[in-house]
Formats: sequence, structure tokens, C-alpha cells
Amino acid sequence: METAKTYEEINQKIRDGDVVVLTAEEVAGFVREKGVEKAVKEVDVVTTGTFGAMCSSGAWLNFGHADPPIKMQRVWLNDVEAYAGVAAVDAYIGATQLSESEGMEYGGGHVIEDLVRGKEIELRATAYGTDCCPSREIRTTITIDDINQAVLLNPRNAYQRYMAATNSRDETIYTYMGTLLPNYGNVTFSGAGILSPLHRDPNYETIGVGTRIFLGGAQGYVIWEGTQHNPGKAMGTIMVIGNLKEMDPRYLRGCTIHKYGTSLYVGLGIPIPLINERVAQTVARDEDQIKTNLLDYGVPRRDRPVIREVTYAELRSGKIEVGNKEVPVSPLSSFKMAREIAEKVKKWIERGEFFLSSPMELLPRDTIFKPMRQVAEAPLVRDVMTEPAITAGPEDTISHAARLFAEREFNHLPIVDEGGKLLGIVTSWDVAVALGTGKKKLSEIMTRRVITASEDEPVDAAARKLEQHNVSGLPVVNAGGLVRGVITSEDISKLIGRRVK
Amino acid sequence: MSVKMLLKYSAEALDKPILAEVIRQTSAGINILHAELNATKGEMLIGVEGSPEEIERLIDLFKGRGVDARRLERTVELDEGSCMDCGACLSLCPTGALHITEDYSVKLNENKCIMCEVCVPACPVKAIKVFKPF
Repeated sequence: METAKTYEEINQKIRDGDVVVLTAEEVAGFVREKGVEKAVKEVDVVTTGTFGAMCSSGAWLNFGHADPPIKMQRVWLNDVEAYAGVAAVDAYIGATQLSESEGMEYGGGHVIEDLVRGKEIELRATAYGTDCCPSREIRTTITIDDINQAVLLNPRNAYQRYMAATNSRDETIYTYMGTLLPNYGNVTFSGAGILSPLHRDPNYETIGVGTRIFLGGAQGYVIWEGTQHNPGKAMGTIMVIGNLKEMDPRYLRGCTIHKYGTSLYVGLGIPIPLINERVAQTVARDEDQIKTNLLDYGVPRRDRPVIREVTYAELRSGKIEVGNKEVPVSPLSSFKMAREIAEKVKKWIERGEFFLSSPMELLPRDTIFKPMRQVAEAPLVRDVMTEPAITAGPEDTISHAARLFAEREFNHLPIVDEGGKLLGIVTSWDVAVALGTGKKKLSEIMTRRVITASEDEPVDAAARKLEQHNVSGLPVVNAGGLVRGVITSEDISKLIGRRVK
Repeated sequence: MSVKMLLKYSAEALDKPILAEVIRQTSAGINILHAELNATKGEMLIGVEGSPEEIERLIDLFKGRGVDARRLERTVELDEGSCMDCGACLSLCPTGALHITEDYSVKLNENKCIMCEVCVPACPVKAIKVFKPF
């Protein structure tokens, strides 16, 4: 494609003070009205922005040497462990590492925010001691001004777009996509849509190694493709770097995703030069052309079922249809902040405070995101459950159940209707307790709200249910509600026994 | 106007249909938000819609029947200095008390809040405080 203008020409305009900059929202309107050709001629740069939880973030810190010296083996900042397996006094604090005393209430993301705020941070380190670095332990406090380098280096930021989430289960679940209410009670999504930096240049024609960007309130750089970069699926990511000492806590916020863990909200913006017509075309696409899938996070598997396709325009409206009901939607990233960042980058460029950098190398467009190679497949409920399950009817007597428990040596009796559908459950304990109460039928003592498992659910997920609900067995039912078997804590113990052997 | 009120039942008042009696005598709208009535506790949180005079009269009606009624001054607060306008709370709020404005700011309408507290832990930066009186 013919180049309409070069980076140098644009930077000259910035120096001359006559550069024309629009935000991604503004350029969409411009192109709708005046067309792409005019946009390439009249507009030089389009600014983007995003502000969301970016878990794959962290900072490299160098503390300087203590006297006597220490070769830090393990390091904690405000009780959050940082990775110290690099030389003596360097450490990487990751956003999702949890505090050892406060758990999910405080983590690496909070440490980074507190550093940027100039707060005192407690530094603790242990070591094995060497001839040159004899110290074995150190405790001190530091601020960002006391340390040598503080560099934000985020391996995977600014997802081009992301999946939207909902939950089919009949219980609330707590995920990295936030709190998801039962029975498709709400939907959450992330990403800045029309302002999303990477989605404004989906062919990766201008964003590459060395692209200067807005990062956490300072000027930073793209240094590589992000981990899991998957541009073919419109799921590109970038690895970015910037000087933490220059950053602004308004654009770097430590956070807690309830019952999931900690993270870091990162503000990031990329200016996109309109170097040719194709770039102008993609940079101006409306939000109703940005599609993503709504996934069922109620299924704890890598490949979650797709409920439907949605556009960012629908998600942005605050309500979408799931099944045939209207469901409220939560954005998890702030569109207001994304807008503020795009505006800020625009101002910087207009004032001659920010120049565009021509990428030294463009990002790959053909990488794919592979699943993990697992030498042993994770066992599923179907592999360990007891089948077929021994069942009884609601009209059967308690003494009938007592006899079954005694003869067949088991403890969980699903109660089913004539068609085999699950109605409730009676345990051997329920039967023991019922003795002497005068109750006769199983329907009088059965638990009606039963926690169940499905055959193709990982055993780990079933074990989590047993633990969370404090029960010792789950009937395994298929999609039609028919009982296929029972999985108990004993079945899972046996599995662990097998693994150890 | 719309206010929230905490009712404290004495042990003797627990088995009397006091709320029904009071409702029949007032034109104020009453919505039960939370109730805990048992052997050790007799507390109820209600939302009331009515004129200032009606609200004053309502307090007297309850007090006359042995129920201590108190208007709550602080119920819920959104710390706008800390809020990032991310919107994580929006789809969890059952009444739309937490809502988003045209410029994508997250705002709180205190009157609509029923103090269910679902938003409190879900806020990534803990910017929402609910002052539950019990």
C-alpha cells in the first residue's frame, strides 16, 4: 500500500505545531462524514487508550547493595514475595502475587501503586550467605526514590479485545472476569472497544518493537509481542516497558478481584499514525464492528462454551440479551479513563511533548496461542465416579435405605423420580439421624437442594465443590438431569493414592 | 423524600403485627430491606418514601407501639476520589442505585440503595462503603 506520510513528516509537523490529531472516537465520525481519503490527507495521528486490570504486569527493582552485602535469595515487599533469582539485589514484583499476611486484600499490584505514590515499603530478604555476601537476612524500608531502577515491565498488556463472561451455574462464581451471578444473572466484559489500541491497528502496520506509548502516565515503549499474542484471532497483545519513577498513580492502580486475587489496573495509550489508507480505514471502524464471544465461565474448562456472539456496541449499552432475557452488563475496564488517556496523548502530541517513533520491527502476525502440553490428562469425573449409582424413590422407606447402605457399603443415595431424574439426596448419616424420629419416607428426610457434578467436569472442579459446600459426595447428572453416578471424597482420595504410586 | 429507618423491636413487641398496623395508618411507602427477628434480636431496616411530616409521624407511630424507630443519616457512600469508573459494580446492583452516566462516570443514587452490599467486595479498589447499622 502506498505510504501517504512518513513518521519523520509527522514528527516535523509536531515540531512545527501544525500536526492534526484526533482520538479514535473522533476519527470514526470524521471518516463517516468525509471519507477515508480525506482522513489520510488531513489527519496525521489517531490516539487510543485503555484502562483495565492487566494481570501480566510487574516491575523490576534494584535496591542497591547493603553493608555487609547480601545475595538476596527470597525478597518480600510489604509481605508480598518478589522474584529474586537474578543476581544479588534485583527483584521482579508481579501484580498477582498475594501478601503472605493479608492474602487477597493486598498484592503485588498494590505494592506497585504504593511505590508510585512514594509510600514507604517494607523490604525483607533472606539469603544463604557467601564469602563475598555474608549477610543472611535484611529488614529495612524503602521508597521509590531510595532505589536505583524501578522499571515497569509488563509481559502481556492491552489485549486487542477480550471475551465477555456469564455464568450458567445456579450459584454465584468469582472469576478473573469478576463476580458472576447465578443463571446468567449478569455479563462482564473487558477492553476499551473503539478506543482499544491494538484493535485500532489490527493488521499491526504501525505498532511494533520501539513504538513509543503512554504507559501509566509516562512515556514508555512496546518492546516485543506480548505473551499469548494471537493476532489471527484478533487477540493480539504487547509487551511494554516504562520508567516507574515517572509514572502517575492515577494510571496504575492495585486492585483485588473478589475471591480471585490481586491485579494491576494499567493505563495505556498508543498513537497511531495514518501512514496509509488501510490504516485510516481500520482505525475508524465503529464499535458495532468489534465482535467478541460471550462465554460461559460456569464451565471450569480451558475451552468454555460460547453462548453467543456480541459486539462491543451492545456490551457498552449496559444490557444484552442472553437466552430470551435482558441481562445487565458490567464493563471491567473504565471507558472514561480510556477516553482521558486518548485525550492526554492527543494533548501531548499537539503541545510537542510526545513524538512518534517508527517501529524497528513490526510485531508478528502469524503467531498462535498454543494450549499447555500436559503429559498426563487431567482426570474427569467420569473416570473416577461410581456407576451406575444405587438410587431410591421418594416414597421408599427409610428402613429400605438403611438396608441398602448396610448391604452395599456406600453412603450417598440419590433420590430419583420414575424417569431417573434427580429429586434429592439421602446420606447414611441422614438415615442414622432419622432413626427414632418417627419419620417413614425418604422424601421426609432428603436434601432437596443438591450440589451436583457432571461427567465431563474435571475432578479438581468436583473436589472444589465438595470443599466449598462441605459435603462428602455429589450425584453426577447429565444435561437432562438423569443420575449417571456418584462421586465421593473417597473416590477422589483413591485417585490421589493412584497418582502417588 | 426517601429515607432509611432502623426499627428495634423489644422482646414483647416481636409477636405483634406492628408493621401492618403502622402501614394502615400512613400514606408513606414502606419497603422492608432487611429483617432479623429472633430470640436475641429484633431489628428491621426499612426504606420509607413520604413527606418529612409523614416520616416524623411514622417514627411516632412506631414508638407508640414499643418499637424504637431511628432515621439513618449515612447509609452508603461511593468514594469518588478512589473510584476508577470501571463499572464492575454496575451489573451486580439490583436496583440501579449504582449507575453510569452519559460520560461514563459511575455514580451512586443513595436513595435507591437497599444496602444489600453485593457491590462492596466486588469493587476492585474498595471504593464503596455501606454503613449497616447492625
